[in-house]
Amino acid sequence: MTEDFHRQVRSWCEQHVPKNWRQTQNGVSEAEFARFQQEWFQTLRGAGYAVPHWPAEWGGGMSVDQQVILYQELAAHDAPRLVLQFVSIHHAAATLLAAGTEEQRQRHLPAILDGEIWVQGFSEPEAGSDLAALRTTARREGDHFVVNGQKLWASGGMHADWCLLLARTDSEAPKRKGISYFLMDMRSDGVEVRPIRNAVGDSHFCEIFLNDVRIPEANLVGPENAGWQVAQETLGTERGMTMLELAERLGNAGFRWLVQECERQGATDSRTRDTLAQFEIEITGLRGLCRSMVSGQAHGPADASIVKLFYSELLQRLTGFGAEIAGLDAHAVLTKPQSSGWESGAWMLDFIGSWEWTIPGGASEIQRTIIAERGLGLPREPQ
Amino acid sequence: MNIELSDEAIEYGHQASRAFEAAGGDDLVQQAQADPQSRGELITPILDGLGALDLEPRADADQLEAAAALCRSAGYWAVPDPVAERLSRPTDLEVDGLVVVAQRPRAAIGGLAGRWAAVDLDGRRSSATAGKPKAAFVADLELTHLDEQGAKDLALALTLPVWTLLGMLDRALDLAIAHVSIRKQFGQTLSGFQSVQFQLTDGEVERSGLEMLARHTLWSIATDRRDAVDDALALRMAALEAAEVVFRVTHQLHGASGFCDETTLSWLSRYSQPLRRLPLGLSATRDVLTRRIGTAGLAGIS
Repeated sequence: MTEDFHRQVRSWCEQHVPKNWRQTQNGVSEAEFARFQQEWFQTLRGAGYAVPHWPAEWGGGMSVDQQVILYQELAAHDAPRLVLQFVSIHHAAATLLAAGTEEQRQRHLPAILDGEIWVQGFSEPEAGSDLAALRTTARREGDHFVVNGQKLWASGGMHADWCLLLARTDSEAPKRKGISYFLMDMRSDGVEVRPIRNAVGDSHFCEIFLNDVRIPEANLVGPENAGWQVAQETLGTERGMTMLELAERLGNAGFRWLVQECERQGATDSRTRDTLAQFEIEITGLRGLCRSMVSGQAHGPADASIVKLFYSELLQRLTGFGAEIAGLDAHAVLTKPQSSGWESGAWMLDFIGSWEWTIPGGASEIQRTIIAERGLGLPREPQ
Repeated sequence: MNIELSDEAIEYGHQASRAFEAAGGDDLVQQAQADPQSRGELITPILDGLGALDLEPRADADQLEAAAALCRSAGYWAVPDPVAERLSRPTDLEVDGLVVVAQRPRAAIGGLAGRWAAVDLDGRRSSATAGKPKAAFVADLELTHLDEQGAKDLALALTLPVWTLLGMLDRALDLAIAHVSIRKQFGQTLSGFQSVQFQLTDGEVERSGLEMLARHTLWSIATDRRDAVDDALALRMAALEAAEVVFRVTHQLHGASGFCDETTLSWLSRYSQPLRRLPLGLSATRDVLTRRIGTAGLAGIS
C-alpha cells in the first residue's frame, strides 16, 4: 500500500515537476515568481497534492503517512516549494478551520485553492516577541471596525490578497484580553505595503501601514476580544504541521545536496564525514519528532516548540557548514532560484536566510520559555 | 612575557577610532558600497591624517602594537579599506600591501590603486593584480610569482586582519547591548532578561578570550618566535569561532531588524565575511594548523 503510493507520487513527479525551474526561476522578478508559484500550485491541486493536510471535505484528507511520502517524493524530485501560498494553506486555513464561521470557510477555503494569497499581520515595531503588546487599534463603528496602526515583518505582504490581522479592540482590558482577530482585504482603502530589503538581498519582509481601514464585522474571527486565543491556534500550526514538510525537505533534498557538495569539493576527509553523519542523525531525529507530533502520538505540551527550536538551529548549522564547504565560490552566488526551499544549494544565501528562522513565529528565547514552563513545569520568570 | 598593549598604542587606537567616526563612521562603508571605486579616496586622507601608513609594524614592538590597535579601530567602524593588509607589507618588497592567499587567490582589495603582493601558506610570494570587485570588495587575484621568501611575512599578515575582526566583534557586542538596553518587550527592557544577559556573556567570553590570544600572538611576533605562524593560525581559528558565536548572539538579539540595512549590525556582519572566509575558513584553517603542529602542539605561554 505504502509502496503503491510512493510509486504513484514518483510517477506523477517524473511527469509534472518542471525540469529546468532552477535555471528559469533564478533571480526572477517578484511578478514572475508569483506567476510560477500559482501555476505550480494549480498543477499540484490537479493531482490532489496542494493541500494534503486539509480535511477531505475541503480538498485534502491524506493520512500523515501519505503526507510524509508526498513530501519525500516532492523533495527527492526537487519540486518547487509552495512559498507564496505558505501562509494561505497553513495559517489561514488552520485559523478558518479552527475558529472561522461556515460563511468564512465557504468564502475563503475554495478561494485559497483558486490562488488567494494571505499574509500574517501580527508583529509590530513594539510588539515582536511580546506580541500581546500590539498597538494597532480596531474601533467599532456600527457593523464595521476601523483599523489604524502598523504591522511589521509581514512576509510576502506585497503579493497578499488577504491578511490575518490582530488588532486591539479594548484598550482597557488586560493586554491579552483586548485583542481581536480579523480577516482583512488587502485591497481595502487605507492599506499601504512597503517592502523592506533584507540581508539576502530580497524584499520578502514587508511593512503594512493601516490608516482608517474599514473591516466588516462579518470578518471577525471568533468572538470580539478573543483574538489572542485564536492566534495561539495559528501559531501552533506554524510550529506544528508546517514542520512535517520542512523536515522531509531537509532530509530528502537539503542534506542530499550537502553530501553532493562535499563530494564536488573533494571534501571526503574524516572530519567532513563525521559532520555529515552527525547531521544525518539529527535530521532523522527531527523527522521522527515531526511525524510523531503530527500523528498525535505521545503529544507533549511543548512539542511544537521543541521541533521549531531543533529545526531552526539545525538549519543554521547545516547551511553554515554548506557555506564553509562550498568555499569562496558560494560568496559569488548572489541570487538563488525563487521557489526553492530554505536550503536551495546557494549555500551562503541559505546560511544568511536561515538566521531568520530563530526569530519569527516565536523567537528561540520564547520557545525555550515555553519548553521550560509548559514542558518541564518550571516556574515563570519573575517579572 | 608581556601581553599588555602599551598606553601609547591604546591611545593611538582611540585617536584612530575618533578619526574614523569624525570622517563619517558607519556611513563610510555605505558610501563605499554605493561607489566602490571611490573607497581609496574616501579612506586614504583619514589614514594619512593618522600617519597610519608610516607605521612599520615589522620594525619594533611599539609600532606593531600601534598597528594592531589601529586595525581594531578600523574594524569597529567596518572601515572599507584593507588597513591590516596595507600594514602587513613586507619590508623587502616595494609594495603597498600584502594579502595571504590559498588555492583560489582572492582578497578584499578590488578597485584599489597601488601595488599588491600575495603570500601563500608555504611562503611563496607573488605580485597580485585584482580583478573586478564582487560582493564586499572581494576580487579574484592574478598572481605573478616572485620568490619563496615569504615565510617570515606570514605571521603578521595573518594576525593583523584578526585585529580588524576583533574590532568588529567589539562593535557587534556594543550594538547588541545598546539595542537590548532600549528595546522593551513584556514591560521591561530585553537587557533585564537573564537569558538575554547570558547570551551576551557567552559572546563576551569569546571576544575577551580572543583578545588575550591576539595580544599573545603580537608578543610571539614581536619576539620573533619560531612558531609565530602557528600562533597566528591558532589565533585565526579562535577568531573564526568567536566571530561565529558573537554574530549569532548579536543577530539573534537584534531580531528581524538585524537583517535589514537600517541597522549597523547588518553592514558589520556582511563586511566581516571576507575576513572570516579569506584566505581560509574555519575547517580549512584547522586542517592547516593541525598538519603544521602535528602532535607537537603549540609552545604556548612559557
